[in-house]
Amino acid sequence: MGKATIHFAGDQALLVEFEPEISIRVNMKVRALQYAFEQLKLPGVTELVPTYRALLIHYDSLRLSYKKLTEIVEKQVENLGEVKLPKAIVTEIPVLYEGEYAPDLEEIAKIEKKTEKEIIKIHSQSDYFVYMLGFAPGHPYTARFENAFSFKRRPTPRVSIPGGSIVVQLALSDIIPFEQPCGWNIIGTTPVLACDYRKKQPFLLQAGQWIHHVPIDRKEFDDIKRQVELGSYVCKTYEKKEE
Amino acid sequence: MVIIEKSGALTTIQDMGRTGYERFGVSPAGPMDIRSFVLANLLVGNPKNTAAMEISIIGPTLRFTERGIIAITGCDIAPRRQGKLLEMYKTIEVEAGDVIQMGIAPSGCRAYLAIAGGFAVPKVMGSCATSVQNKIGGKDGRKLKNGDELQVGQPTVALDRLAGRSFSKETFGQKQPVTIQVIMGPQDKEFTDSGINTFLNSTYTVGNDSNRMGYRLEGPVIEHKGDGNIISDGIVTGSVQVPTAGLPIIMLAERQTVGGYTKIATVISADLPKIGQCRPGDTIRFQAVSIDEAQRLYQDMQDDLKQKEIALSSGNRSRTYKIEVNGKPYLFTVEER
Repeated sequence: MGKATIHFAGDQALLVEFEPEISIRVNMKVRALQYAFEQLKLPGVTELVPTYRALLIHYDSLRLSYKKLTEIVEKQVENLGEVKLPKAIVTEIPVLYEGEYAPDLEEIAKIEKKTEKEIIKIHSQSDYFVYMLGFAPGHPYTARFENAFSFKRRPTPRVSIPGGSIVVQLALSDIIPFEQPCGWNIIGTTPVLACDYRKKQPFLLQAGQWIHHVPIDRKEFDDIKRQVELGSYVCKTYEKKEE
Repeated sequence: MVIIEKSGALTTIQDMGRTGYERFGVSPAGPMDIRSFVLANLLVGNPKNTAAMEISIIGPTLRFTERGIIAITGCDIAPRRQGKLLEMYKTIEVEAGDVIQMGIAPSGCRAYLAIAGGFAVPKVMGSCATSVQNKIGGKDGRKLKNGDELQVGQPTVALDRLAGRSFSKETFGQKQPVTIQVIMGPQDKEFTDSGINTFLNSTYTVGNDSNRMGYRLEGPVIEHKGDGNIISDGIVTGSVQVPTAGLPIIMLAERQTVGGYTKIATVISADLPKIGQCRPGDTIRFQAVSIDEAQRLYQDMQDDLKQKEIALSSGNRSRTYKIEVNGKPYLFTVEER
């Protein structure tokens, strides 16, 4: 199954690269290698950072030599086909697609020559795969695999958009955890927090899982927001059905 | 308690950084010059990973409300008590009511103030390190400001035993350009031969918009084969990113965890402290080394810190030797009694 290229990322990390494409097929190799290392619990491996098509393995050279680590990576890559990944999880993200919470919905509908209702349906009927987290704590990079929009970024980025914004382009959709500048179109807003430092495990999502957007109305939004503030709201999760 | 009377330019609480959360997008933070940071903690008898203060070029003024032992290392920040200059790299005994006023560093960029017992700030995801970008750690996830009050932890060594402890003084930034050793890659194949040549044979200046996230360098443009974009992948501290415009950015303590620009090289761990002591306007040159050389230098840096730690605890009555048996290095210490 595996063929990988190993690069030095300085003297305390190895970058293991699979084929140069953004696809779930290649990302599954990254996932499998990460999972294999999580099971190995190799002393000296300090951190695993999965991205679209590469796994960055941080290690402590005083405890683990790069030669030994390289050998282990090569062996694991050879046996990737045998790694049995745990069942993928889907987390439901409630989204309000309405008024000031969806400032670009009307424009998106115009570009796509569809009604707002149809746009909401496209965005909320597919499962989105979380390729990785990054940019800000808890910020997911997700994509669906059908019905891509035709537009990319806005001509001029906004200086600041609020946390909770759901932003889209092409087949991609991200949850913005904290206020930040952004050039993507805002299709809706979620009352849940992608990163909540009050919690022991602050992050809503992790790489390799799926999300599903669920349309809610204004009353449900306020209701969920109140529960989130109290720290009592838990997103619905379930196992992804095999396709 | 320590009261911040004047905060200085950018004073933060740091420990050795946050590990294990990069896959969620959390930057490691931690000190920009980890060597000087550790030396300050060792002087005051703290474990290496104890929360201390990182000071940048313009120092703070601190008032102490109880007796304690502090030590200041790193760039020359000219600490004074009642107008009298205090020695750096040496423990300082402070009494209740003492005010320590720090000045402006003439060269170098970062000083570290450690206090016996450490600064007692809450841990966030296992670390006290301030990440101003992520708004977590240290004092409420931000730099210190006037009027802040910091609690001090319980010292692990009796204060009386810490008096007079010192290391030889170190200086920073006086020799320019600073040579920074790198391991080429992970994306050095994305550059033309001429681009690699430019990178390794030019002098770069640390730009004004450099900070704890990264240093933007000014100098000759490095030529890519393509447009400098890659499928986003992981970044390490010391990654030298070269975006499309061709000028390098060294990613540092509060860097992002992933990025979509080509990385021509990575600064070796042993030279990261040297980068952390560069200030805007300082000049650097890059030199490529092998991974074996880089890891040997890292081992040397750790051995040197270990030797200094042993020398302190035995009151300079010991000598430490490094020997190699079957290619593996061992430290042993001979102590006078």
